Amino acid sequence: MNQSTTQSTVLHAQNVRKSYGTRSNVQQVLKGINLRVLEGEFVGIMGPSGSGKTTLLNVLATIDRPTEGSILIQNVDIAKMKDAELSLFRRDKLGFIFQDYNLLDTLTVKENILLPISLGKIKKKDVEQQFHTITSILGIEELAHKYPHEISGGQKQRTSAGRALIHKPSMVFADEPTGALDSKSASDLLGTMEDINKKQGVTIMMVTHDPVASSYCNRVVFLKDGTIYSELYRGDKTRQAFFKDILNVQAVLGGDNVDAI
Amino acid sequence: MTLFDLIIRSMRKNVKHYYLYFFALIFSTGLYFVFSTLQYDEATLKVMASDASFNTAFKVAGMLLLFIVVVFAFYANQIFLKRRSKEIGVYQLIGLTRKAVARLLVIENILLGLGALLLGICGGALIARLFLIILLKLIGFAGMVNISFSIEAAIQTIIIFSLLIVLTSIQIVRTVYNHTLLELFRADQQAEHPREKNSIISAIIAVMGISLIVYGYSLSGRMTEDTLLLDMLLVLGSTILGTYLLFRVTISWLFCTIRKNKDGHLGLKNSVSLAPLMHRMKANANSLTLITILSAMTLTMVAVSYSLYYSAKADTRAQMPYDFIFENNPQAAKSFSKELEKADISFVYQPIETVKLLGKVGSEDGKDSMLLLPAEQLRQSGIDVILPDQGQAIHYDAHANMNLDSDKQTYPGTVEIEHIGGTTTLELTQLVVKNAINFNVHGNQYVVSESLMNDLKEKLPRADFNEVIVLDTYQIANEQARAKAAELYEKYISEGEYMPNFHTEYKGYLQLFGIFIFIAAFLGLVFLIATGSILYFKQMTEAEQEKQSYKTLRQLGFDVKDIMGGIIRKQLFVFAIPLAIGLLHSIFAVKAAKVLLISDITVPSAIAMGAYIFIYFLFAVLTINYYKRIVKGALKS
Ligand SMILES: Nc1ncnc2c1ncn2[C@@H]1O[C@H](COP(=O)(O)OP(=O)(O)OP(=O)(O)O)[C@@H](O)[C@H]1O
Ligand SMILES: [Mg+2]
Repeated sequence: MNQSTTQSTVLHAQNVRKSYGTRSNVQQVLKGINLRVLEGEFVGIMGPSGSGKTTLLNVLATIDRPTEGSILIQNVDIAKMKDAELSLFRRDKLGFIFQDYNLLDTLTVKENILLPISLGKIKKKDVEQQFHTITSILGIEELAHKYPHEISGGQKQRTSAGRALIHKPSMVFADEPTGALDSKSASDLLGTMEDINKKQGVTIMMVTHDPVASSYCNRVVFLKDGTIYSELYRGDKTRQAFFKDILNVQAVLGGDNVDAI
Repeated sequence: MTLFDLIIRSMRKNVKHYYLYFFALIFSTGLYFVFSTLQYDEATLKVMASDASFNTAFKVAGMLLLFIVVVFAFYANQIFLKRRSKEIGVYQLIGLTRKAVARLLVIENILLGLGALLLGICGGALIARLFLIILLKLIGFAGMVNISFSIEAAIQTIIIFSLLIVLTSIQIVRTVYNHTLLELFRADQQAEHPREKNSIISAIIAVMGISLIVYGYSLSGRMTEDTLLLDMLLVLGSTILGTYLLFRVTISWLFCTIRKNKDGHLGLKNSVSLAPLMHRMKANANSLTLITILSAMTLTMVAVSYSLYYSAKADTRAQMPYDFIFENNPQAAKSFSKELEKADISFVYQPIETVKLLGKVGSEDGKDSMLLLPAEQLRQSGIDVILPDQGQAIHYDAHANMNLDSDKQTYPGTVEIEHIGGTTTLELTQLVVKNAINFNVHGNQYVVSESLMNDLKEKLPRADFNEVIVLDTYQIANEQARAKAAELYEKYISEGEYMPNFHTEYKGYLQLFGIFIFIAAFLGLVFLIATGSILYFKQMTEAEQEKQSYKTLRQLGFDVKDIMGGIIRKQLFVFAIPLAIGLLHSIFAVKAAKVLLISDITVPSAIAMGAYIFIYFLFAVLTINYYKRIVKGALKS
């Protein structure tokens, strides 16, 4: 990659391992993952169910701690941070889009989106400005005062995306953001994410089962049984061509239903 | 797996939820048993036989206790069922029939109920003695405390609680049969969604709620004797309705307004407190109203009875400045003095000459029977009275505050006394809220200068209503000596004569108010535990329901401290608002009840309320800790 010379590393995982269970019954889910994510990258993570995708994402996103290995985000070793520091770090630097939205039922769309900056000391006017920019990109401006139960799944997911982006994080983690959406809503959301990635330079890491979704990425990492099986770079390829490549790797990898499209 | 296995398994799994319900059941059974034991105890029976009001007090208290226990058991069972509704749904989903599920839950309920009954009676039997000692101590009973296991009390408790088990079982069966699977699964995520209501109507109703309460308060301060019952009902009705509207509309409206003004910039604390509260206001209005009213009732009850007990001495003294009095009976007085000397009791003796006559007080039409008391003589005996000028009189009346009549005498006023050769008009300078002489001496008490009294005495025509009364007064400083003297005094009281003395009177009050304070504290404790537990149960359920929100917040990078800040704010609302309103209600109620007392009751009321608030807040702390556990563990589940 010729880009790597000009881009700095946002995230660097070295030999990350994660095990669950008791001493007598240890299940190693991540078995030594090495991964470097550059600033402005849009990385997809694919792999069969149970291969450890969510676990990897949680560990990288500091929601969970690795059993072994080091993770540096913007050159900060998150293993050395205390829980409170980690929380602050997450709130400031990271954004999350969850598979099942995780919106707070009792808050309106606007209140949900503004949550990550609710403790900051940003001026109300600037916040409003920020909110308008993001919601207009996401196309949910009109929904500001609606409650989650009043909007569709796609709109919820976009709200969730708005919440992930409002505080201008340096990196966004998305766990199957299109999992519950129909193909139209899914491609809308992916298009917006691609836009945000390109125009605002936000680094994105996205877990997905869907080859179509991962074809929006710059790079796709394939996981199998807790190790990185292979990596694909999109380079200058068209989305269609990249999609074909992804399908090929998936066919070899097995597990997921290839005939999704 | 047999049904029984399933029961055991589910009980084991639910023990975390159960233990509180179970504990609450044990507690109510235990306290009920203690109460029945006391009711059947010989020592209390003896005391009760001596005074009908004890009997009534105990009966009323027993009924109140029963009421609260029933309400509480129902409420707890309801909350408990709601928490388990998903489980009930799952049982049906895996193929158990409704009948089987109902049977399972009813068997569980019976096992729990019987267990609680057994443990409650055992525990109650253990602590009954303690309560009896407290009770007898409070009423000043000196005899031996001896208590045996009361079979009658046990039977009564068993009957009541068996009925309660039957009733809660019916409640369970109804829940299982009357809810669809979908409802069962949704029961714990049933958040209401506050709709934009017509803000003008809401605002009007919101203001109405507050006005009703204010009306109730102001009416409570000016109730008159003629319409006392109606006034009391009006006060009760308007404050209760006002409280309900306050929770149901006023606060929602206030929240809505605040939230609207925030325009989405809610902040974390409000997101965790204000928003979920708004979404539960409808469901919570009933319980918050109930808790407010119960708190107000308990606070009033405890504060008033504690004040009565606390002020028993001061109040008796205000009515009886002298320990012993003989009225126009110098022989008896002489003999009493001799006896006191013989018994080596030191005392202060003072004969006081008073004049009883008829006089016209203020602008009233009729004439009152007046007792003129010479200030100099009273002072000589050590009684603290004001020395009026010539031509002045001072009204002494310990019961002046208890007078609810609207046409009260105002001060300064006048007193007109007709006598031979004209009318003397005295200036009535002021009212002192205590007696200048023991209350049993007839006539309204007016302290005048000795010379004025003597002057009038000469001029009075001979008539039945004009009388010179010589009072032989005794004061004994030492309490034990006074008790001994009271025994000696006994034999001077002839059949049908009313000659109360300070010591006996005081002991009587102490006994009566001792029973009051005991019953009030007992009931108060039960009420407090019931309201505290209801709030705790409800908040536990809410905490579980909100777990996902806390998890999300933690994932977004809010730490436990940030989130707890919001939760504490929410708990403050849930606990402090009903308490604050209840407290305010009770302050006005106590103020209205002040007519029962002579002394100032600020101190004892404050002590009683303080104790209540302290215990109440223990529940808030418990609840906050529960939330903290949930928030801390949120990321791990
Ligand atoms: N908290 C946990 N405790 C124990 N084991 C866990 C835990 N979380 C995940 N696992 C195990 O780790 C493995 C990987 O789980 P993970 O959720 O990362 O898979 P995934 O790749 O995201 O699968 P999917 O595509 O189905 O979401 C699974 O075998 C799972 O059973
Ligand atoms: Mg997953």
